[in-house]
Amino acid sequence: MKVLVVAERKGTELRRVSLELASKAKELGDVSVVEIGGERYSPLPFVSALAKKVEAAAPDLVLLGATQSGRDLAARLAARLGRAYAADVTDVAASGDSLEVTRPMYAGKVRARLRVPLPAVVSVRPGAIPLREGAATPEVTKIEADAVAEKLTFTKFAAVASGGKRVSLAEARVVVSGGRGLKGPENWNLVEQLADALGGAVGASRAVTDAGWRPNEEQVGQTGKTVTPDLYVALGISGAIQHLAGMTSSKVIVAVNKDPDADIFKVADYGVVADVFEFVPAFTEAVKKVRAG
Amino acid sequence: MKILIPLKQVPDSTVRVSVAPDGKSIKTEGITWSISPYDEYAIEMALERKEADPSTVVSVVTVGPARARDALRQALAMGCDEASIVIADDAIPPLAVARALAKVIGDAKPDLVLCGKQASDDDQGFIGPALAEVLGWPHVATITKAVPAAGSVELWREVEGGHEVWTAPLPALATVHKSEKEPRYPSLPGIMKAKKKEIPERPFAALGVDASGPILEVLSMEPPPSRGGGKILKDGDLKQVAEKLATLLRDEAKVL
Repeated sequence: MKVLVVAERKGTELRRVSLELASKAKELGDVSVVEIGGERYSPLPFVSALAKKVEAAAPDLVLLGATQSGRDLAARLAARLGRAYAADVTDVAASGDSLEVTRPMYAGKVRARLRVPLPAVVSVRPGAIPLREGAATPEVTKIEADAVAEKLTFTKFAAVASGGKRVSLAEARVVVSGGRGLKGPENWNLVEQLADALGGAVGASRAVTDAGWRPNEEQVGQTGKTVTPDLYVALGISGAIQHLAGMTSSKVIVAVNKDPDADIFKVADYGVVADVFEFVPAFTEAVKKVRAG
Repeated sequence: MKILIPLKQVPDSTVRVSVAPDGKSIKTEGITWSISPYDEYAIEMALERKEADPSTVVSVVTVGPARARDALRQALAMGCDEASIVIADDAIPPLAVARALAKVIGDAKPDLVLCGKQASDDDQGFIGPALAEVLGWPHVATITKAVPAAGSVELWREVEGGHEVWTAPLPALATVHKSEKEPRYPSLPGIMKAKKKEIPERPFAALGVDASGPILEVLSMEPPPSRGGGKILKDGDLKQVAEKLATLLRDEAKVL
């Protein structure tokens, strides 16, 4: 099978998901990896450049990371080329002359296996494919976005005060999220200090983003981001279905809540029944000590 | 300005979804159906524009089974002006659904089309970008704000660290991630008014669009792997519990 991987870069580094895709593609067949050069993602210039590449190279499968831009690009590419499309899969395998993929549906409440006819476009959830330590960096061919296809004008970038400093939530290996139990935005230093001690990203429950305590982009859950880190720490989060949908695929879940009956404990590997204001500072110190060896 | 929102009726987000005995679908008996959450954000975004400029006309359309009328009725009760349905069974390829919507849009000629970024049943996120592709329009993905200007619209796209602001010529299409306010509940007068509104219906076959396209075949569905049986730490001095947890995360879970 011929596989074309579309890699993404954050700054100068390839995104981790791109390495995951390249490693999966190797299992499936002959791999080539491209990245699309352009100042920022825009659907028409990216689709136009990628569609030309796909038509010329005729891969059976195009693999993209199910990132915010990757999912959008994958869908429009599939529509342009009339290819089958499966989004946000957690596994993909060859099966005769088609593919078999596993993907969450119904906001993660169901796991489905689907047959995808070839040729196809598939986007893969970041973190779903295990990456061997020291896996070789793939050779990447750069193609340029087709500026002529652009019909939009980029006006400006409006930065949010809290953004940019930490790792990106969707790809972070550790996520520390805060809920209503934190009582107000002024207490977020507790969440941030623990996240920094763990080298992780900061998330929030929907109640918190709805209340305007934290920006929407930090929301983890059904209508926010779905995360699959190695470690997810839920602080003062009760565990509504809508939140669980976004984080139950995490490898290890730690929950801290003073209500012993909170639903979050049903999915936690380690639960601490305690007041977050008392426990979190002690835990942050303990983490620093353990990490320092 | 005329804003059109294609919406999908899905199991309400509070439904505890379970797999049907055939192992390939979900149980639908007795469940509550609603407008997909991202479509609700798109509706809210449009209704906020309508409040700012009362000449705005907001219409909703769905391609789906007859029961999806209830979702359209819900959108009318929230304050949308018009609704219509294209009756289609679930076996229609997604690309053909996009073509059907493009046909409706070709007839209705909206200035702005807002699609929820994905429907919370299949979670594919295909229809918005595919619809833009079939129409030959540019689109902006995962916006949180739309501000109309003369002959164009400013679309705010949430990305890591902030918002990219794009200006699109009209007509334009965007997929919606969030609205500035939470979607409103239907008001009682809104519900009464919605009951009286006609919802014109057309069968998919009457649109005369190409019904072909690739289809994904469901082989099986199962609940996600269950979790739980975790360790609960509650007794003793908090400092000791904290140190024990940190040690367990390093030595047992191996994530530190």
